[in-house]
Amino acid sequence: MQGNLSAWLVKHGLIHRSLGFDYQGIETLQIKPGDWHSIAVILYVYGYNYLRSQCAYDVAPGGLLASVYHLTRIEYGVDQPEEVCIKVFAPRRDPRIPSVFWVWKSVDFQERESYDMLGIYYDNHPRLKRILMPESWIGWPLRKDYIAPNFYEIQDAH
Amino acid sequence: MASSLSSLASMVVWKPMHKSENMISKKRNNNNFVVFAQQEVQESTSLQQEEEKEAAKPVKGVTQPRPVEPQVNVESKNMGRQYGGQWLSSTTRHVRIFAAYIDPETCAFDQTQMDKLTLILDPTDEFVWTPETCSMVYSYFQELVDHYEGAPLTEYTLRLIGSDIEHYIRKLLYEGQIQYNMNARVLNFSMGKPRVGFSYNEYQAEDVNQ
Repeated sequence: MQGNLSAWLVKHGLIHRSLGFDYQGIETLQIKPGDWHSIAVILYVYGYNYLRSQCAYDVAPGGLLASVYHLTRIEYGVDQPEEVCIKVFAPRRDPRIPSVFWVWKSVDFQERESYDMLGIYYDNHPRLKRILMPESWIGWPLRKDYIAPNFYEIQDAH
Repeated sequence: MASSLSSLASMVVWKPMHKSENMISKKRNNNNFVVFAQQEVQESTSLQQEEEKEAAKPVKGVTQPRPVEPQVNVESKNMGRQYGGQWLSSTTRHVRIFAAYIDPETCAFDQTQMDKLTLILDPTDEFVWTPETCSMVYSYFQELVDHYEGAPLTEYTLRLIGSDIEHYIRKLLYEGQIQYNMNARVLNFSMGKPRVGFSYNEYQAEDVNQ
């Protein structure tokens, strides 16, 4: 089942995979990391001028890491703006995804958080460093195979 | 920062027995701080300096801390805002580790000597410490520093070392080698409430309906 955007992309010969619609009716596409920076610019020119959120998650232990982008169009007088959700899957061994900071500025901190929590390295991000964990932290906390060291935390104290 | 240093001074100086420990550790980081592990055992305040330190017989099998010459004319260095205003440290309730040299009497915090780790043990006096138990913790600290040799000098590794020492203190508590200090200012049994050992052979619970 394909949405409008997917049909438009197919018409222009851009490689993607349609992942159907989620429960809110937002069409979801999967894009390869290598094509992502060009398709991001194409989507921006198409009209998606607002990156609602960028998140990332770990698909499976030993599997891929996903970076999810929710795009929408901000304009006047529209009740139901068009939305699309893009998922970019990166391999676990070398998780590198092009950064879309130069297209949508709001992705700055959000990509830093995805980098901090999952270790996805965003190429061409101007200041990619840890944002939530202390700077000297080792490990990617939100990965499914992360084991926290045995720190003596305050909850150990009765 | 200044307030924390003064609170440190006020808590450490009035104690009759100093429980602080300086250790030079070998850690590798980007600036190539590489030093060897040694240790300086801090002894008490000026009142007890006349007493000769008892030469304890080294216990075989226990890691002996290696001695370090005490330093004079130590001043607080690199504490200002232009140096970042922060120091590498790991602070929990019983263990404070700083990557600096802290003079035991004056509490001067010399941050330029980042090759040394200073351990301040239980500044709130939650437990009753004897020289033997203190030296057990110091030798464990020495073993840990030797074990972590080569690790980058970051707060992460200092927290790992501090957590290992805290787990060791809890192990000593559960074995009965150290006890809670009932005259502590804050008595909240942070490492577990005291329990009655029902597995003790010599303790027989009396039958009520006799």
